[in-house]
Amino acid sequence: MPEKSALKGLAEADRYYQDYGLRARELKKQGKKIIGYLCAFTPAEVITAAGFVPVRIKGDVNEPITKADTEMETIICPLVRSCFDMALKGHYEYLDGLVVPHACDSICRTYDIWKYNLKLPYAHFINMPHGTDDASLAFYQDVLNTFRTSLGKFAGKEISNQALAEAIKLHNQNRAKVKELYELRKASPPLVSGEELTKVLIAVMSLPVEESIKMLGEVIAEMKERGVSAQKQARIMVIGAQVDDIAFIKLIEDSGAWVVADDLCPGAREFLSSVDVTADPVVGLADRYLRKIKCGRTYREMKGNYEEYLEDRFGHMGRMIDDFGVDGVVLYIYKYCDPYGFEVPQIKSYIEAKGTPVLYLEDEYSMSTIGRLRTRIQAFLELLGSK
Amino acid sequence: MSHCFAGVDIGSTMTKVVIMNQSVLASVIGPTGPEHRKLANRVMEEALKKAKLPFKDITYVVATGYGRINVPFADKQITEISCHARGVAYLLPEARTVIDIGGQDSKGIKLRDGRAVDFVMNDKCAAGTGRFLEVAAEELGVRLEDMGKLSLEAKKAVRISNTCTVFAAQEVVTKLSGGAALPDIIAGLHEAIATRVYGMLRRLKIEREVALTGGGAKNIGLVKALEAKLGFAVQVPPEPLLTGAIGAALLGRDIVKEAEEKGTPLSRAERRLQEAALFT
Amino acid sequence: MTEEKKPEERKKRRTATEAASRIGPMVKAMVGEVMQAKEEKKPIAYSFICCCYDEIIRAMDIVPHWVENYAGICGAKRDAQRFLERAEAENFSRSLCTYALCGLGFDAWREELGEMPPESPWGGQVKPDVMLGSGQMLCDPRNKWFQAAQHYMPDVPVYDVGLPWPSYESDYDYREVQEYYVSYIVEELKGLVKFLEKHTDRKMDWENLSELVDLTDKTWNLIWETYELRQAVPSPMGTGDAMNTMVPIVFMMGTQQAYDFFQDLNKELKEKIAKKEGEVPDEKYRLLWGGGLPAWFALSDFNYFNSKGAVFPVETTYRMIEATYNFDIDLSKISDPLEHIAWRWVKFWTYWHDRARKRPGSHPDVERLIKYIEDYKIDGIVMHEAFSCRSWHPGLIWQLNLLKKVYRDIPSLVLESDIVDISSYNEADTRARIDAFIDPLEAVKR
Ligand code: SF4
Ligand code: SF4
Repeated sequence: MPEKSALKGLAEADRYYQDYGLRARELKKQGKKIIGYLCAFTPAEVITAAGFVPVRIKGDVNEPITKADTEMETIICPLVRSCFDMALKGHYEYLDGLVVPHACDSICRTYDIWKYNLKLPYAHFINMPHGTDDASLAFYQDVLNTFRTSLGKFAGKEISNQALAEAIKLHNQNRAKVKELYELRKASPPLVSGEELTKVLIAVMSLPVEESIKMLGEVIAEMKERGVSAQKQARIMVIGAQVDDIAFIKLIEDSGAWVVADDLCPGAREFLSSVDVTADPVVGLADRYLRKIKCGRTYREMKGNYEEYLEDRFGHMGRMIDDFGVDGVVLYIYKYCDPYGFEVPQIKSYIEAKGTPVLYLEDEYSMSTIGRLRTRIQAFLELLGSK
Repeated sequence: MSHCFAGVDIGSTMTKVVIMNQSVLASVIGPTGPEHRKLANRVMEEALKKAKLPFKDITYVVATGYGRINVPFADKQITEISCHARGVAYLLPEARTVIDIGGQDSKGIKLRDGRAVDFVMNDKCAAGTGRFLEVAAEELGVRLEDMGKLSLEAKKAVRISNTCTVFAAQEVVTKLSGGAALPDIIAGLHEAIATRVYGMLRRLKIEREVALTGGGAKNIGLVKALEAKLGFAVQVPPEPLLTGAIGAALLGRDIVKEAEEKGTPLSRAERRLQEAALFT
Repeated sequence: MTEEKKPEERKKRRTATEAASRIGPMVKAMVGEVMQAKEEKKPIAYSFICCCYDEIIRAMDIVPHWVENYAGICGAKRDAQRFLERAEAENFSRSLCTYALCGLGFDAWREELGEMPPESPWGGQVKPDVMLGSGQMLCDPRNKWFQAAQHYMPDVPVYDVGLPWPSYESDYDYREVQEYYVSYIVEELKGLVKFLEKHTDRKMDWENLSELVDLTDKTWNLIWETYELRQAVPSPMGTGDAMNTMVPIVFMMGTQQAYDFFQDLNKELKEKIAKKEGEVPDEKYRLLWGGGLPAWFALSDFNYFNSKGAVFPVETTYRMIEATYNFDIDLSKISDPLEHIAWRWVKFWTYWHDRARKRPGSHPDVERLIKYIEDYKIDGIVMHEAFSCRSWHPGLIWQLNLLKKVYRDIPSLVLESDIVDISSYNEADTRARIDAFIDPLEAVKR
């Protein structure tokens, strides 16, 4: 696609990170339609298949929330409030549509506020169930088909199975690239810093999938070529909901540790599972979003005893700690976040029982509150160092 | 030869310096002003004068407290969590839990074998810190230092239900004009702080003995209120304000000792006290 | 450790109706029944209100322990702080639903002690045999709370009923999707029956279930008719009372007791209307409680409104019923009781959609406000934003803004505090805001 920035790899990612939505604005000028969405639970494949560019709406920790409060209660998750504030301030003016999945209360219960304020030509709520049992899966397939029909109507042509299968393939390739990038974190010291990786993944949220695949490939090559970085005193994993800014990751890395693993969004939660190729592509899609992504918003039914249940819900975190040689975990949760807030005691005790120390931090998604966490992070690193 | 070590603790309201070798040689406590760097120099110089030592005789300087990055002559910055842990382990070896109530924050630390293994911290909300009392004291027209003693005269503590400092201050005034006795209100305020601190502390699963440090430990009313919450007596070091600075000096000593034992070179700050003075 | 704290003396709210004054003892008896059931080893289920399973548990003779109710009691007795603090000590954020925090704090404490925490309000909250959560739309705590509670009771199984309803969309009508919503809910309810049969010694009595489902329809209609009586001027009953009469609606649905209660209330209201007996002697302003769960520790604020001549003839909160004969399908023709429940659920949540379609730019939630404003001759709207619940409280400001746009400007007040956490509440401030709201109403009236 023409008129793309001449930058490559990390430099390109940095540009798209600094000026979020830049590429979407360019494409918009060329006549493309842009669909904004909230949360990793929006199946971007469907948007791509319809011929639109999916852009995930993000907030800005540096920008005080000033406009949102006249329309949205302050008891909503600060991340969602910040996203909404940015939208009201015109940072997403280029959007043609909005897709909101049923992620958590803060997202689901504000859909109407978004829709009525943004007044975009297209809006759709994906009523994703919480459960993962067979009935929930069947229902979710129906829900996805409703979305598919609705977006097809907006596009002026039905979204064919073939188009959907193509899009799934592309998004899977994109995920495979991210996975490759994660492999570079396993080295000690890691070949890519947490800050760099976060920046790249945020840039990815704003790009057409083909361009993202290309950029990721370049980043990986660059990082491999660049080789070893300096050793730091600890390897940290960050677990939390959505982190769409480098500030927090940078704070940890500036305090003398590498962030080498995560269960975050964007991050491992979003990118490390792919869609199975199925005859009816919606079947594979539904399975991935409902069953494969493990997130606090989804209710996984208990099978077996309680220990097995914890293993089912948090086992992937434990495996990542082993695979990526993690020394300590920072559990980073926003105030007013229901899906994760309720899991803190369980996640903390699950990980600690495996012998890895956990620092639990509650934050409010703003630069000033992030800065206040500095002492806690440094103390945690000191505590890891003296073990 | 025996080394000397300095610990500099720049807290939000007080700056503390301790010089030690095997024991404390000199200590200085002064208020924290707006210009940390200048202040750190001045207080350090004062302490050196007291200890009758030139700065070059100090082998290692550790800075701590929220102003720790503003001590240009420090060889290392270590958080107040680790320093308080180390200080308490030295001063009150039986302690397993530390409560530190400062002017702007409060923290709880869990100790094992003299080291911090877990901690909690509150610096967001003034309730549960000295700030809460300060605001209330102003509202009541009572000197902050007198609050502790006054509260001992209480017959029945008045329950303060607002945790927000601003609301609580209003509530205090309403209660006072409603006829509640001053000591009862002050006791209620102490109880409110103790409740907040205790709530935070419980996330650590409190183990005995419990040491209380920081400015809060000098307020007898608060000590009593906390003890009532805990159901047992707490231990207080002779000068609770110095705990962090002593810990900082001791951590410096540990670092030097380890380097000597391992034969590794000691990494030290390049800036010295005099240069630092120019720096301001 | 000294965790006990004497609950503060509580100002009791006066009720206007005789029926409402009977609620207190009814709730107390309800909590007592659960304790008794525990002793008799009857199966007890932690339950949420508005989760479609009222008739199912009744028909299976499973005893519900309504967790929100218990937290509300602690809040109303101003004795919830110690449980909230306990939850905080467990690392739960104080920003989460305080019903959940109160319940989790209580459970953690009870399980640690092996007995009820000291001086538990009304005897306490027993350990259940099963916990019945629900997914979808009615808040995250409905599926996260019980999952979190398993941290303290790992042996208590949980079932989560998926209960979606179609959102209001501009490009399609809910009728295009309602069938698959209903069949999903039916499957989920079937799963619930299976789960209960597996984890308790109870069997479903399908005939009984059908009867209770019909009884519920009947009760819904009776409640609707009874509440509509409040349109009378002066209004015989206000929202303060409705925060009591919600008890049979949400905790006793599917029981004869609920039906009988509303028959009594219906009769009482008619008598009052005949005598022109209002909630207050000289009714000056009629207000709509337009959203938000109440601050249970401050129900006497309703008396404060009353003291200024203001009454609340209607509220959206806890009016979780519609007249089933106003639905576009005939529920009584559905023979399968689970299907019946599912259709009632979907029709309830989509009830206002059609009206919204008719007014450009409108929304079902706003249509409901408009209808109540007109039917109940409303002068102003009061809402309450409880900080800890992200189910009922997001969108209140937006609704008021939209109302102004598509309908008309109407004085409004949004109070802020919480359902249970009294530390968020400031009486002087609240009353000052009420004063500032009421005074200008005078001008509007004239
Ligand atoms: S951070 Fe939590 S509350 Fe906020 S959008 Fe994500 S899941 Fe929802
Ligand atoms: S609806 Fe609100 S108050 Fe009720 S359980 Fe859910 S979050 Fe809590």
